[in-house]
Amino acid sequence: MPVKKLQCDMPKSVQFMNEVAERSGQNIYACYQCRRCAAGCPVGMQTMVTPDRLIRLITMGETEEALNNLLVWKCVACYTCGARCPNNIQTARITETLKQMAKEAGITPLVERTADFNAAFMQSAGHLGRFNELEGMGIYETKTMLKDLKKGDIKSIINEVKTQSDLGLAMISKKRLHIGIERVKNISEIKALYKKADASKKEDRK
Amino acid sequence: MKEVAYYPGCSLHSSSELYDLQCRMVFSNLGIELKEIDDWNCCGATAAAKTDDFLAIALPARNLGIADATGLSEIVIPCSSCYSRTLVSQKRLLCDSELKHKINAELSRKVEAKIKVSSILDLLMPKLLSGELAAKLNKKLAGLKVACYYGCLLTRFPCDISVDDNIENPQSMEKICEELGAEPLDWGYKTDCCGASASVNDTDQSLLLMSYILKDAVSRGADCIVTTCPLCQMNLDAHQVRVMQKHGIKKSLPVYFITELIGMSMGFDPYEMQIDRHFVDAISLLKEKGLV
Ligand code: SF4
Ligand code: SF4
Repeated sequence: MPVKKLQCDMPKSVQFMNEVAERSGQNIYACYQCRRCAAGCPVGMQTMVTPDRLIRLITMGETEEALNNLLVWKCVACYTCGARCPNNIQTARITETLKQMAKEAGITPLVERTADFNAAFMQSAGHLGRFNELEGMGIYETKTMLKDLKKGDIKSIINEVKTQSDLGLAMISKKRLHIGIERVKNISEIKALYKKADASKKEDRK
Repeated sequence: MKEVAYYPGCSLHSSSELYDLQCRMVFSNLGIELKEIDDWNCCGATAAAKTDDFLAIALPARNLGIADATGLSEIVIPCSSCYSRTLVSQKRLLCDSELKHKINAELSRKVEAKIKVSSILDLLMPKLLSGELAAKLNKKLAGLKVACYYGCLLTRFPCDISVDDNIENPQSMEKICEELGAEPLDWGYKTDCCGASASVNDTDQSLLLMSYILKDAVSRGADCIVTTCPLCQMNLDAHQVRVMQKHGIKKSLPVYFITELIGMSMGFDPYEMQIDRHFVDAISLLKEKGLV
């Protein structure tokens, strides 16, 4: 069987590993590949890359693969891996960090919808100070459908419209759809926090 | 009446406002008045954690500052996601004073992060142990087989936070259900993830995770699922039909909020508690068991 040759550029790969460890606050150096995390990961069967594999990719300097694999984008942040890890490594924190690093590197996410949903949520939460289901979903759906349209993926659009309208109708009939708009009075504080977040990101990049 | 600060979060002010109402009803009957903190903001939920390390701490921090300013000693947060994010923020602020200063520079009500952050179970358990809960119950939920569902965020945290319950096999909800006269079942998926955070953007994954939970509950003979989290409740309830179709599950299960079962046992009217606003019919089972 041909063995894939690892592209190991020492200084760069060590840099990458250190950055992930520092930003996620996780002692990835302590991982001894026991795979207790993998055994409990609920998405592992679909992602193939399990938490232990993700850590291995990072420590082996496989940066590209580490930044964009299915676990990074499908991790449901259930914290099972961290609760069971004998070395207290929270892989969920690592997937959160890698998502942010992937964005900074301009990488197109393997599961674009995950990135788009999170962005839509944060946009709505920042705009009104409280998450508005209609606004958040509106931003998200517009974005994903436009992308599908560009790709000519009409089937996805039809599916999405059907699912969302079924759910919307059910929500209306159960009076679970909230039409009113709630907003934070002191919204300037929220805006200031968002601004500070942007500023500290720019600082980090420097 | 004891006063406890209260953070409802976005979900209890929109699609799960029935849970907000039920929390107030149940706790008021137990002698606790929930004082909603004013001008609270969204905690950022999982989206902030996945996109922005600063906002993930700063958004709950603002709420903690408002809560600290009330002078009350405890704040209850029924939504598991809000509860988890707020606890994580508090924990971080307590050990990172530089970050705390950076956040406080933007806040009118500075965060000290000293208020005790409680889940709804943290508030209920002392009432159970003291017998105050039993004193308010007047109807036994006899013959109701319940699968108590905790989900991820009540017992597991992405940092060192200890919980009173067993993290792999928690028991507090079971103890409450026993007190109500219901029959909590032993089952395997009580702390597994339902995929609520992925239900919109990674729907198939979320449906698959729910199928594990529902299949196990059904095969153990459960009549219903009971939970404390509005996001888990919404996910398991609103999408259940699709899970059943896609994964060949024959029996549907109402998904109750813990407040609904306690409220039924306290003798509240199910319609006043708005139990008729579930997606999977949650009234018929109560009728079947002779509770309505
Ligand atoms: S459980 Fe911890 S030490 Fe074991 S493989 Fe997973 S991350 Fe590494
Ligand atoms: S937090 Fe993510 S990586 Fe860890 S077990 Fe859950 S889904 Fe898997």
